[in-house]
This record gives sequence, structure tokens and C-alpha cells, in this order.
Amino acid sequence: MRRTRQAFDEQLEELERRLVEMGRFVESMLERAVRALVEQDVGLARRVIADDDTADEMDLDIEQHCMRLLALQQPMSRDLRTIGTVMKVIADVERIGDYSVDIARTAIKLADEEYSKPLEDIPRMAEIVRQMLRQALEALVAHDLDQVTKVVERDDAVDRLWYKILEDVERLMQERSEVVPQAAALLLVARYLERVADHTVNIAERVAYMETGRLETLAPSHGTDYQPEGEAGKDRDREERE
Amino acid sequence: MGSPDVGAELILRPEGEIKLETSGVNLFYDGFQALREVSVAVPARRITALIGPSGCGKSSFLRCLNRMNDLIDGARVVGDVLLDGNSIYDRATDVAELRKRVGMVFQAPNPFPMSIYDNVAYGPRLHGTRGREKLDEIVESSLRGAALWDEVKDGLRKSALDLSGGQQQRLSIARVLAVEPEVLLMDEPCSALDPTATFRIEELMLELMERYTIVIVTHNMYQASRVSQYTGFFLLGELIEYGVTTQIFENPKDRRTDDYVRGRFG
Repeated sequence: MRRTRQAFDEQLEELERRLVEMGRFVESMLERAVRALVEQDVGLARRVIADDDTADEMDLDIEQHCMRLLALQQPMSRDLRTIGTVMKVIADVERIGDYSVDIARTAIKLADEEYSKPLEDIPRMAEIVRQMLRQALEALVAHDLDQVTKVVERDDAVDRLWYKILEDVERLMQERSEVVPQAAALLLVARYLERVADHTVNIAERVAYMETGRLETLAPSHGTDYQPEGEAGKDRDREERE
Repeated sequence: MGSPDVGAELILRPEGEIKLETSGVNLFYDGFQALREVSVAVPARRITALIGPSGCGKSSFLRCLNRMNDLIDGARVVGDVLLDGNSIYDRATDVAELRKRVGMVFQAPNPFPMSIYDNVAYGPRLHGTRGREKLDEIVESSLRGAALWDEVKDGLRKSALDLSGGQQQRLSIARVLAVEPEVLLMDEPCSALDPTATFRIEELMLELMERYTIVIVTHNMYQASRVSQYTGFFLLGELIEYGVTTQIFENPKDRRTDDYVRGRFG
């Protein structure tokens, strides 16, 4: 029994290792997508879009690994919670990859335009969100509830930035109608980042469940009431609510 | 860090009607103490599973619930067991009547070497039921209750020994049902059965739960998690933790329970 238990422990560790690998990969997609937007680098944006296939493969691979462990090991207690958590978390991470692709597409769309004002808030927001993702996954591996709390706290900063960008863009649109298409595109990027932050909070909540066995919403304000009109955001928001 | 809540309430008292209740049950076999201070409330018309490693006392505890330990030389029970609030260890208790109310299904199917009909009618006859019509009725309803009727109704006079293992175990259940019990104690009822026969017994248990209080001892944690609503974990004669089954298997409070359900013992 000891040997089979040891093998199972190793498989669980392998599962966490693969999840962290996927998380780092997607974190890099996000970082590069925002850099491509700021630096108007089409080549970099295209590579991010191409990387989405790899992220999807990682997602499927980890899910299969989880299913295999569920079927063959019939896990209980913490082991069950770990596998259930990983299955939920990969969906969040995969979705963050999708948002990175959306941002990269916006970067390509705006690559030849001069920005009406330098991009400052979006990179700042992206940096916070990227750290949240990293912290959420570190919390998972290190079984660290303090990190979970930090992720949840940081979500407020992201929400504040989102509302600031929203107000700035609305003002800009009213003042200069010629920048409306560009401003709308950038507003969506900010919205994607805000959603990414919500996914990192989802991950943090799952880590808390894995550790405590209690499934609860840690950030009641999590998500915003604002619903963007049209484009990808609308469909995706609907999808996520379901 | 997911460590069990220190000092948390480890023995839950289920809500609703309590059918059986033990208070401070200790069991001694000559010099050996097999159970220590087991206090637990068993809810009516629910399935309660008792799990734990071999020798932990779970089967011994089950046998305390209908005084089967009385049959073992040198066995002595200290503490009390209440059935519907009345002590079963009271001097006035009619033990035969008690075992009729609290029936037991054993690990290995144990059909008597007689016909299927006579196996089922055995208990009622013993308790004084006479009359062909009445017995026919009991045999049919008991076999239906044990989900065996459709398979054997055309051959009730055939020997019970010709039935398959799974059918024999359902016959054992029918035999218990024939004396109209209130509680069914099941001691590893599926350990000698293949997965299909096990599945049938589990399905049957869920049907029987509507009318009977069931306590099952099982080595198979997955069986406990599939069929029961409450689970108790025994270790070295002590009831370590007792709670709602989903809680015991998803998030046990005691480290020892956690180790056991995760296969960390051994």
C-alpha cells in the first residue's frame, strides 16, 4: 500500500508541476501580448496568438491526467480536492490564454496607428494582473493561504484601475470623436485584463478550498456590474455567467 | 494548510429521528478491550457506514447493536445501547425479539440447505406464523423487498444452494426482511460478491433505506461513500470521527480519518 500511495503522491506532484508550467506559459503570453500592444510589435503579437494552441494542448493534457487519476486512484479527501481544484484552475488559466490572444489581436489591429495618448494604465494593470496570476499559482503549490488573501486584495486595485480607464476613455471619446475606434479597442483590452484578474481570484478561491475544504467566494465584489457592448467581451461574459 | 480543525466536534449528532444510540460502549473479550467508550447516534431510515482498518472494532461494534456478542464466551459489554430510547441490555429485554427487530446480514451468504421458499419462511415459522396463505405472502413480499422475486418466482422449491453468490446474499436479506425488522445490520455484505452483484446489493440497500435503518460495516470505502449518508471511522477500538458521509470523504476533521480515507495507512 505504501508503494502505491507513494506513486500516487508522485502523480499528484506531477499534476501540480504541469499546472505551474501551464500557468507560467500563459503568464508569458499575457506579458508578451501587452508588450506587443505597447510596443506595437506585430511579430510578437502573432507569436502570442500561435502559442494559444500550446496552451490548449497543456489544458487537455492536464485534464486527461486528472481524469486518469480520478478513475484509477479514486481519490478521497485532500487528494480529491486537489484534483478537483486542478481541473477547475486549468479552465481559468486557459481562459487567461484566450484573453491574451484577444489582446494580441488588438495589438495587431492598432499596430499602425499612433496612440492618442501614451499607454500607461493598461501596462500598470497588466503588471498587477500578471503578479496575481503568479501569486495564485504559487499559493496552490506552496499551500499558502496568505498568498490567496493577497491575490484577493489586489483585485480591488485592478477594479479601481478599470473604472479609472473607463472614465478616462469616456471623456476622451466625448472630447475627440476621431479617437473613438482606438479608444474602444483599448477599453476592451482593459476589460480583458479586469476579467483576467477575476480568473486569478477564481484560482485563489479554489486554492483556499483545496486547503480548507470550504468552498466560498472570497471577493464578494469580484467582477463588475459593467457589461461592455458588442465584440468578444459580451459573449464571453455571458458564457462565464452560465 | 488544510490541517484538520483542532478540537472540532468529531462525533456528529444527526438531526431528526434517532433509531439507535450507544453511550460509552466498551467491549471486552476476556482481557482484551475491543471497544472504548463508543457513543454514537444512528439516524432512522438512513444508511450509516462504519469503516476502519481490520481489527479496529467496527464489526464488534455492529454485534453490540443486537447483542450478538452475547454468543461469544468471555465477551462483556459495558455501557448502553438504546433502541428507540429503550436499553437493549436491560434485563427485561427479550433477546430473540431484539434480533428480530435488529436483523443481521453476514459477510458470506449463508443459505440453509433447503428450498428458497423454506429459507425465507424459516424465520416467520420460528416466530409462530402459520398458514400457507400468510407464509406465501411473506415469502413473496420479502423476496420482492430483496429484489430477488423476479429471478426466483418460478422456482421457489429449488434449493437455495443452487443460487449464485449474489442471489444467495439477496436471499439472506430476504430472510431477514421476512421477520419484519426495523434495523438491518450488514457486516461486509458484498465482500464475497463480484462488482455486478455488489452493485445490485447497493441498489437494494438504497431502496430498503426508505423503510429500514441500515448500519453497514465495510472495508470498501468507495461502497461507504456510494451508499451511506453517515459514516463513522473506527481505529483501535475507538470511534474517531462520525459525520455526514460527504464530509468524511471530502474533508475529514481528524488527521487519522484523513490518513485512512486517503490510503495513507499501512
